[in-house]
Amino acid sequence: MPKQLLQGNQAIALAAEVAGLKFFAGYPITPASEIIHELVNKKHIKTLQMEDEIASINAVMGASLAGVKAMTATSGPGFSLMQESIGHAHMMEVPIVIVNVQRVGPSTGMPTLPAQGDVIQCIHGSHGDYFPIVFYPNSVAELYQYTIAAFNAAEESLSPVILLSDGYISHLYETITPHRDFEIKHRTSPPLGASNRHFTGLSHEGSIPKTSDIDNYRRLISRFQEKQQLTAQRYNYYEYLECGKETDILLISYGALSRVAYYFKNDFSLYRPIRMFPVVEEIKIIAPKYKRIIMMEMNTGQYVREIERLLRREIEFIPILGGRIDLQEIKQKLREEK
Amino acid sequence: MNQNTSFKRYLKMDLLPTPWCPGCGNGIVLKTICQAFDELNLPKNGTVVVSGIGCSGRSAGYFDLDSVHTAHGRAIPVAEGIKYAIDALNVIVASGDGDLLGIGGNHLLHAIRRNTNITVVCYANETYGMTGGQVSPTTPHNIKTLTTPNGNPDYPLDVQFLFKHSGCYFARSTVYHLNHLKKCIVEALKFQGFSFVEARTMCIVNYGRRLGYKNSNEMLLHYKEFYKINDDAGELAPNEIGIIKTNTLIKS
Ligand SMILES: Cc1ncc(C[n+]2csc(CCOP(=O)(O)OP(=O)(O)O)c2C)c(N)n1
Repeated sequence: MPKQLLQGNQAIALAAEVAGLKFFAGYPITPASEIIHELVNKKHIKTLQMEDEIASINAVMGASLAGVKAMTATSGPGFSLMQESIGHAHMMEVPIVIVNVQRVGPSTGMPTLPAQGDVIQCIHGSHGDYFPIVFYPNSVAELYQYTIAAFNAAEESLSPVILLSDGYISHLYETITPHRDFEIKHRTSPPLGASNRHFTGLSHEGSIPKTSDIDNYRRLISRFQEKQQLTAQRYNYYEYLECGKETDILLISYGALSRVAYYFKNDFSLYRPIRMFPVVEEIKIIAPKYKRIIMMEMNTGQYVREIERLLRREIEFIPILGGRIDLQEIKQKLREEK
Repeated sequence: MNQNTSFKRYLKMDLLPTPWCPGCGNGIVLKTICQAFDELNLPKNGTVVVSGIGCSGRSAGYFDLDSVHTAHGRAIPVAEGIKYAIDALNVIVASGDGDLLGIGGNHLLHAIRRNTNITVVCYANETYGMTGGQVSPTTPHNIKTLTTPNGNPDYPLDVQFLFKHSGCYFARSTVYHLNHLKKCIVEALKFQGFSFVEARTMCIVNYGRRLGYKNSNEMLLHYKEFYKINDDAGELAPNEIGIIKTNTLIKS
């Protein structure tokens, strides 16, 4: 397998093709557009530029129900527009992949600069309870690897899987070896046009809408929760780097920011969730080895709450607000923590 | 009266009755769509119905076919995704005027522009029935609704004009003109490209009642008296129903 110099977004496109992508719909937005730019040149993939992100995700859901692997890609503003339909895709159990290349928000924010402000939106952006599987790689090689994982997890869970990226990682150029010997999961449910099933966002039992059967609704949501947990267990991705030296501090970060964390690998042990949701439970085994846990993320503290909730202990938090990752600034802040 | 009941093969008869109120016209549209399927002998495997949200949005679930009940306004993009993914499928959208022209209006504009080869049947009842009878994109001027207590200050959208020079198919009919409505749907299904049937239908409980109609029969009689069939027009007057096959201005 020859090495290739690829941009992060190009790696997502290439991996999607390897995973069997047949349909892509999207709406232009920086820093995600290179994904569709790349895909339009691929012969066996139907690409559509839709009128907005709502149309995009709905077209992708239609294509997936019709039996083909489908994906959309966007950034914060578009991800916000998709939220209602993401819940809908969970309710109808439609496997799709949604890429969100994060930029600075809220609103139009700083359109091309990276941020990590959409982390909680991934799990709570739509109304109601649903349990998405979310991956967040930190390199071009990983974008390639986890795009394929996202497609597989979508097929296994029959749910929309979110691949988070950010303006840094997606616009990074790195040399990678795009392997093709991954296991690829195929669709297990029959395509549309083969039966008399009804797919609905209403609470339902099989094909029958059940709009006031509370017990049935509770069973449905529990089944979704169990299914998502079970699938997630097969995608238990995280990175743990034990410090060569004796240390009682564990530094947690993810995505673009975690690349800076490597700089401190001789001072602290490092932990990086890659499957962001459902939260990887291994941290429960790792955390007790450390007296202090410091966490940094490019928001005012979205994921730290998830870790705190899991560990039931306090975590020292360093917010690195979106826009810039600056080693000197981070060094300074860590020194203040120390 | 048409005694032929073979259209029933397209319906999940065991799920009936529908949730629609007594006197609602939606059942007539639903039945007529099935009759059109029957006339063309559409294969049950290979035909998909998509609805949005609303009273009429419940249609999809009653077809004995694979069907999708989308979010409010999103029936058209879901249908387009299905069609662009698997071209061999017959894809039909059955949904309300609020759903297709209001919240989903932008998708309609662009489906027309793309001329996607699907058929849309719009249950145009001049109101948002499911939510209690608010003003909708097809509510006439001056009509009182829950959200226009002093009368609708706006004028209704005349959908046919969205199709001008589009090269797509547009037809308007009513639930009184059964044979005509069926013909409009049959021709729409046969049309290669985007086809849209505006099916005028009545909502007595949340709309007509407030306008002074005593029952839905009176609303039907209004359709009978008001609408004239004109199938050869390039444009329909407000009191005309008919089929328009629009031409594209730009020839490729
Ligand atoms: C995003 C969203 N907004 C509002 C609603 C509430 N809602 C349900 S049905 C409906 C109106 C449907 O009107 P129409 O399409 O004309 O169908 P009808 O009920 O008249 O058949 C609305 C506003 C919703 N379900 N989703």
